[in-house]
Amino acid sequence: MPLYPLMAVINAGLALLLSPLLEGIMRKLRARIHSRIGPPIVQPYYDLLKLLGKEDLRAGDPWLGFAPILALASTLTASLLIPLGGEAPLAGAGDLLVFLYFVGISAVAVIFMGMVSWSPYGFLGSSREMMIYLSVEPVLFITLITAAVHARSLKLYDLVLWNHAMGPQISMVIAAIAFFLVLQAQLGRLPFDIAEAETEIMGGPSIEIGGPKLALFKWNFHAKLLIFTAVFVEVFIPWPKIFQFVPDLGLTLGKVLLTLLVVAGIDAVNPRLRIDQAIVFFFGVTMVSLAGLALALVGS
Amino acid sequence: MTVTDVRAQIKERFGDALTRMDERAPGKLSLTVQPKALRELAAYLFGEMDCRFVVSAGLDRREVSGDFAVVHFFARDPDKTAIEVNVFLDGGNPRVDSITPVVPAANWAEREFAELLGITPLDHPDPRKLVLADDWPPGMHPLRRDFPHDLRPEPAEGVAFQPKEPPAGATVIPIGPYFPVLKEPAYFRLFVEGEQVVGCDYRGFYVHRGIEKLGDSVLTYNQIPFLAERICGICGYVHSTCYCEAMEEAAAIQVPPRARYIRTIMLELERIHSHLLWLGIAAHIIGFDTILMQAWRIREPVMWLCEQISGSRKNYGMNLVGGVRRDIPPELHPKIEEVLATVEKEAMAILGVVAGDTPLVMRLKGVGPLTREDAIRLCVVGPTARGSGVDLDARRDHPYAAYGELPLKVILKEEGDALARTLVRLEELMESISLVRKAIAQLPQGALMAQFDGEIVHGLEGTCFVEAPRGEDFHYVLTGDGNRPLRWRVRAPSYPNLQAIPTMIQGQMVADVPITLGSIDPCFSCTERLETVDVRTGDVRVYGQEELLRMTCEGRRCRSTR
Repeated sequence: MPLYPLMAVINAGLALLLSPLLEGIMRKLRARIHSRIGPPIVQPYYDLLKLLGKEDLRAGDPWLGFAPILALASTLTASLLIPLGGEAPLAGAGDLLVFLYFVGISAVAVIFMGMVSWSPYGFLGSSREMMIYLSVEPVLFITLITAAVHARSLKLYDLVLWNHAMGPQISMVIAAIAFFLVLQAQLGRLPFDIAEAETEIMGGPSIEIGGPKLALFKWNFHAKLLIFTAVFVEVFIPWPKIFQFVPDLGLTLGKVLLTLLVVAGIDAVNPRLRIDQAIVFFFGVTMVSLAGLALALVGS
Repeated sequence: MTVTDVRAQIKERFGDALTRMDERAPGKLSLTVQPKALRELAAYLFGEMDCRFVVSAGLDRREVSGDFAVVHFFARDPDKTAIEVNVFLDGGNPRVDSITPVVPAANWAEREFAELLGITPLDHPDPRKLVLADDWPPGMHPLRRDFPHDLRPEPAEGVAFQPKEPPAGATVIPIGPYFPVLKEPAYFRLFVEGEQVVGCDYRGFYVHRGIEKLGDSVLTYNQIPFLAERICGICGYVHSTCYCEAMEEAAAIQVPPRARYIRTIMLELERIHSHLLWLGIAAHIIGFDTILMQAWRIREPVMWLCEQISGSRKNYGMNLVGGVRRDIPPELHPKIEEVLATVEKEAMAILGVVAGDTPLVMRLKGVGPLTREDAIRLCVVGPTARGSGVDLDARRDHPYAAYGELPLKVILKEEGDALARTLVRLEELMESISLVRKAIAQLPQGALMAQFDGEIVHGLEGTCFVEAPRGEDFHYVLTGDGNRPLRWRVRAPSYPNLQAIPTMIQGQMVADVPITLGSIDPCFSCTERLETVDVRTGDVRVYGQEELLRMTCEGRRCRSTR
């Protein structure tokens, strides 16, 4: 498995250091839609620094401190498996599946965190997180496999190259739409921020953590913004591409930002759905993505 | 049916048990009944006469006539009639038949006089503590006249609220006493199976401020309006108006027309800003913060307008017994019209969004259902009742201020869910805007205060119903000596509406409970206790203040910085 050390640093560095800025820009847009001035776009950095500087209270279950670390670590590992402007740093045959495993571990860590918080709100949040994970993950899998069927490869970068070369296919458009419809849930945004639901279950899984632990938990959410959106724009909207690392990276980040602005816009104009309503919605999206996969299997 | 017919029917049925029946004021029928016939009479009024239960008041009349009394207030809204049922009780050990078995809505009201006045309701189905703190010593009844208003009993440790047992297999999800969507403390213990609510228990009144006690022991008639205005943080003016109109009825003071119109204008402005505030909070509960921010932005000019009229965004301090203290001068009328026009335009836009937004409707439709039968049985009021198709509006049914002269459209919806209650409020908002316009156009000239030089003698009674934004507000005063009432009874609209919550959340999803609570626009009041429920074992542990302090200092498993 070839490893590109420089690109590994770039991918993980962007996931860690750029993602809070993306969050800040999204917050700003949300504030403008609210007719508010909003916080400065670097506010998420301040928030992280403040939380990291707080005393680390070791209250409650000892495993509580482990969960955010595991979540952020697996998200960062996942960031090494995605192509950002060029081939993925940890590219290898089947990196698509490894990527899904690592984002899965990240989600399981959050579920675990709610379970060990021993709070009824944490339990409810975890149970909701689990239901969302179980209904959203198939869509992620099916849509990426749709591209993999076309590219006859499980390497994410091969999917990018194939889609770039072949232009939009019907099945890929369907997969792109399905992926976008669950992106909101992957990123924990309205109408699907059901697992956190501040006004119902007071943050759910994160209810018992604070200080540095909360910082890592939040950072995990910020990093996911970049990672999932980058996979979306790279695999499903790979155009234009000039096959030089720096401009391609710039293009990808530009597309990520535009996509996230749309995500923030959707977030601002929707109420939170109930878990049962969300699952019905995800079931529909799963069916759509399966239709896309079927089309891919017959070659269109 | 007119008041005369009602009188005749009651007389025919209960002739022997009645000791007195007269029409105290137009539409206010006051009767005294022998204690043994009370429950039967209550069952007759509620069950056969279709009266709505309003509230009960316990009276300590020992200094006047050596006895206690209980007054149960009923209303027959379509006839614009209120019926007051008095029973006089033994001055030593006052006991009265509970009417809760036949009038379920009387539950809280009877528990309240049991605690505050020591009048025992016999056969009450749920005689647990309601108002007083859990460590309040038994046998001390703070609303008794011989109880000093500033007496503080010693706090006690190891006394706990007796929660209901959850059904087998259900876990307990606590909502409160502090909770993000509850702006004030209230404590709902939800009994939950999966995500479905199978039952609930309620503990409230965490900081009962003793306002009624201050009214009959410290303040004077004309100071009470300012305290009354502080009962609620949003709709305070309804309370001062309600008190003043009750006093004016008791003392037969004729309020000048201009003052009545100014009250009306301020009440409707208050309704406009209250409904916009509510809309924002309700949207926030379901995560729709854009509507929260926009609704509050739209609301802001109304607050500015109130400040220009009264000098204050809230707590206008304009009411006195007999009239108002501030005029609305003609220079302000164009400004009012300008603000109303803007609010109307922007609120119309929001109404369009709310009614047409699919996810929003998904979160509100069918949520927190309250059937018309339940609404009548539980005697809910205001938009909560009107959202369930109960045609009830104190502005039309028991006119006060200038409402008798201003035609009014009462907004009704039949669905009985959170969506219906939302739409009722939004359409009422539009109605309020047109009411303010009408009132400004018809604003009569003249004095602001009634001429009243006489003394208010003791023993006079007055009641008033005011349609607050949250529902019907009700005040009762019984005049006393020393320029202050012998008893001042306040019933805010959330009092009956909160009692309907268990019915509304039964079988609902946990996610729908906050918005169901929000949909009645509840108004609670602050707390000093913490209860933890261990979901694994169902054990309930209540931490007292001292214990909490000690735990905080010791830091137990935490690394202490001290």
